[in-house]
Amino acid sequence: MKRLGIVLCVAMLAWPAHANTADAEPEVSVSLEATPRKVRVGDTFSLEVRASVKGGGLESVRLEDLRKYPELEVVSHQTSRPTQISFGFGSGMQVESSVSHLYAMRPLAPGTYTFSPAVATIDGKDYESQGLTIEVVGAAVDFGDPRGEPPDDDELTGARYDPDSFVRTVVEPTTAFLGQQVDVSVYLYARVGVVTRTVSPTKLSMDGFWVYDEQVQNLQSDVVTVNGTRFQRFLLQRSAAFPQRTGTLTVGAPKVTFDGGGRSIFDPARRIERSGVAVEVEVEPLPPPGPSDAYVGNIELTASIDRPEVDTGDAVTLRIQSAGAGNTQDLRIELPTIPGVRALQPAIQDQRRFSGDTMGGVRTWEWILIADQPGKHVVPPISIPYFDPKIKKYGTATTNLVAFKAEGSAAPKPTLPSSPSVAPPRPDETQFGPIRVYSALSRGSAPLRKRAWFPWLLAFPPFAFLLLTVAVGFSRRRGRDRSSAEAVQRERLAAAKKALRDQDPRGFYDAVVDTLIHAVETRTNDPVRGLPNTDLRSRLAEAGFDEDLIGRVINELDGADFARFAASGVDGQEMSRCLERVETILERIRRLGGRAS
Amino acid sequence: MKHPLIAVLLFCASTGAAVAQEPQEPTPSNLSDLFSEANTAAQRGMLPEATQRYAELLEAGVRDPDVYFNLATALAKAGDYPGAILNFERALVLRPGDSKAAQNLADAEAALEESRAEAEGEASIRRSSAVGDAIYQPFTDNGLAMAVAVANFLLFAVLGWAWVRRRRGRLFYSLLAASALVLLWSAVGLGVKSDLFRDGPRVVVLGDRVPILEGPDPRASVRGEARGADRGVLLDQDGDFVKLRVIGGEEGWVAAQAVGTIAPNVRAD
Repeated sequence: MKRLGIVLCVAMLAWPAHANTADAEPEVSVSLEATPRKVRVGDTFSLEVRASVKGGGLESVRLEDLRKYPELEVVSHQTSRPTQISFGFGSGMQVESSVSHLYAMRPLAPGTYTFSPAVATIDGKDYESQGLTIEVVGAAVDFGDPRGEPPDDDELTGARYDPDSFVRTVVEPTTAFLGQQVDVSVYLYARVGVVTRTVSPTKLSMDGFWVYDEQVQNLQSDVVTVNGTRFQRFLLQRSAAFPQRTGTLTVGAPKVTFDGGGRSIFDPARRIERSGVAVEVEVEPLPPPGPSDAYVGNIELTASIDRPEVDTGDAVTLRIQSAGAGNTQDLRIELPTIPGVRALQPAIQDQRRFSGDTMGGVRTWEWILIADQPGKHVVPPISIPYFDPKIKKYGTATTNLVAFKAEGSAAPKPTLPSSPSVAPPRPDETQFGPIRVYSALSRGSAPLRKRAWFPWLLAFPPFAFLLLTVAVGFSRRRGRDRSSAEAVQRERLAAAKKALRDQDPRGFYDAVVDTLIHAVETRTNDPVRGLPNTDLRSRLAEAGFDEDLIGRVINELDGADFARFAASGVDGQEMSRCLERVETILERIRRLGGRAS
Repeated sequence: MKHPLIAVLLFCASTGAAVAQEPQEPTPSNLSDLFSEANTAAQRGMLPEATQRYAELLEAGVRDPDVYFNLATALAKAGDYPGAILNFERALVLRPGDSKAAQNLADAEAALEESRAEAEGEASIRRSSAVGDAIYQPFTDNGLAMAVAVANFLLFAVLGWAWVRRRRGRLFYSLLAASALVLLWSAVGLGVKSDLFRDGPRVVVLGDRVPILEGPDPRASVRGEARGADRGVLLDQDGDFVKLRVIGGEEGWVAAQAVGTIAPNVRAD
């Protein structure tokens, strides 16, 4: 409920902010960017269409020319729709929605491809980005047929050769300029079987480098020939390293452990550990006469502004984007002072990506510029000197000139917030008080679930239930046995009574004998029918019968046996008395209690 | 005869001195004095001193929601919003129904966002959005543990009663379903509270723009950065570094003192 309340409060705070900005022009930014803009056939480049809006509803973003060129193959497409709630400089809470479509594209033929501007529709109105031209040159690089004859890698550097398996570090180039990209790849060469999931390389030490690791998700292998021997080669690690100081820098020796072998009885499975060798890189300072702090790589700078005209006191967003090869995160820009304009701290975003062997990326700065004075405000071109190590030449990347116009007189700064719902009150120190002067000063104690007795407390009910189940089941079984024996005896007595009613002495005495025998056998757990009286007497004594009861049982059995064979001389009264005696005997047997052992 | 007497006197004197020099454990009375001193300092606006006193109470083993609340309040007044947010969170762990602490937590987050927005144009704090946290937030760890124990007892008592009496009427099924549901609900809650469904304890980032490194080494390359008051999960620890996953998915190593564990009984540093 509390969270629901917070959500409702946020919604209530946000609604008036929308309501106030509904009439105002939304802040819109639509961009169409490609990185890089000059590519070779077969190389992949990224094309990003991005639209963001503050204070408006973003309906759609279109790039009509996306499918215009069949020579540009769309390899992948990624869409993101982040929504951000921001608190900004007195205008209260603002909702910024944006849509970004990122396409990975591969040109299949050389040429110049021009894209018309991307169009974003916001609240029924169209906004356009700048157009874009992609230049595709050259032919595709032939990487060779991986299924063909494996290359002979006779010049084995960066490795300690072992005929079974070894680790190799490939560093390219080994002589570099300060800040130039150095590719570092670590390979495992193996002639033994390798269980790939067990391969565990240690991280390379690369002091003095700024390192970006390319994620190696699954170990891929190819076959190469070294010293005339074919090896399976696994890429373990691939990094782009940028030297940060001159002199000799060392890429540490790699180390890898893996489970190998196991292919045959002559090649037993075993844990294998291999170490490589360290590789040195000579780092030279940038050559004169260029600036020593030049960016190393090749970049392009673009500047854009989201609105050409604003009211004085309102803000625009200046966006400067650098894209190209090299460590773009190393780029720094100082925004020059613009008279009559106040600039807030920039928000910086970085994107890194490998394009083939070259690492590149995009760094974007976004400044909020507040026009304090009316008039035309110009953001002067910003230049960054760079050194391209491929052609060993200096160059300068410069932004285009952008300007915006502020109209109207400068608005006086409000002394009080116009509406508390538009500008949420900033919590001041009084809002956090008062402190609490009473406290139990309770000490930390382990929660109940961590107490030693808690598992036992939880185990007790099921354990007790189990015991109860067993005990009750056992008791019921005993009761069932006894009651079933009594039922049989009752049934036989009923047969005797029926025979009495029918004046059937033979049937009566048969039933009497059966009843007594059953009662005795239930008690003794042994058959007693046909036993001589002496044996029967001893069995009954063992079963807990007293002498009187033994005598009565034996007399009754003897009498019944006799009467069965002289049934004609028996009258009904004698049978009735016999029945009463038998019932008395049965009752006494029943009272003897538990079953005899 | 004289020498043994001197020896005994010397022994008594040295023992007394040794006892006098031993550091004394804080007793309830001097804990109370310390708390009063801290409160007085806070009321007079001597916030660093107040913060120091409250921290001494915590070092002495006090884990009281009011102490965490006062410490958080002092930190918030001093402008240390990430520290304040961490301690308001701790106060809420110990006393989930503390509406003032919840309000102050929200105020501290709003203040931090606003101050950042003024400086940078926009701001956001990455917070936990787990449904389980929201559902079980009003309940204490011990309360859920007791609920598990009682529901467990009730469930098997009902089963036992039915087994003995051989009666399985509407009452039996109602009690059985109710106790089983309470048991399931409280057991899941206990799992949420004990971080069973997370990869580690929850933490709050204390420093601003804390670099997230590739490895537990200050020379490791930077993967990203965490902002003050961002929430995350502590995955591992290696020396002075902890492995952190910030809400939103970014993962890497940061200095151990740059994060604080929300659960008051666990210490990351």
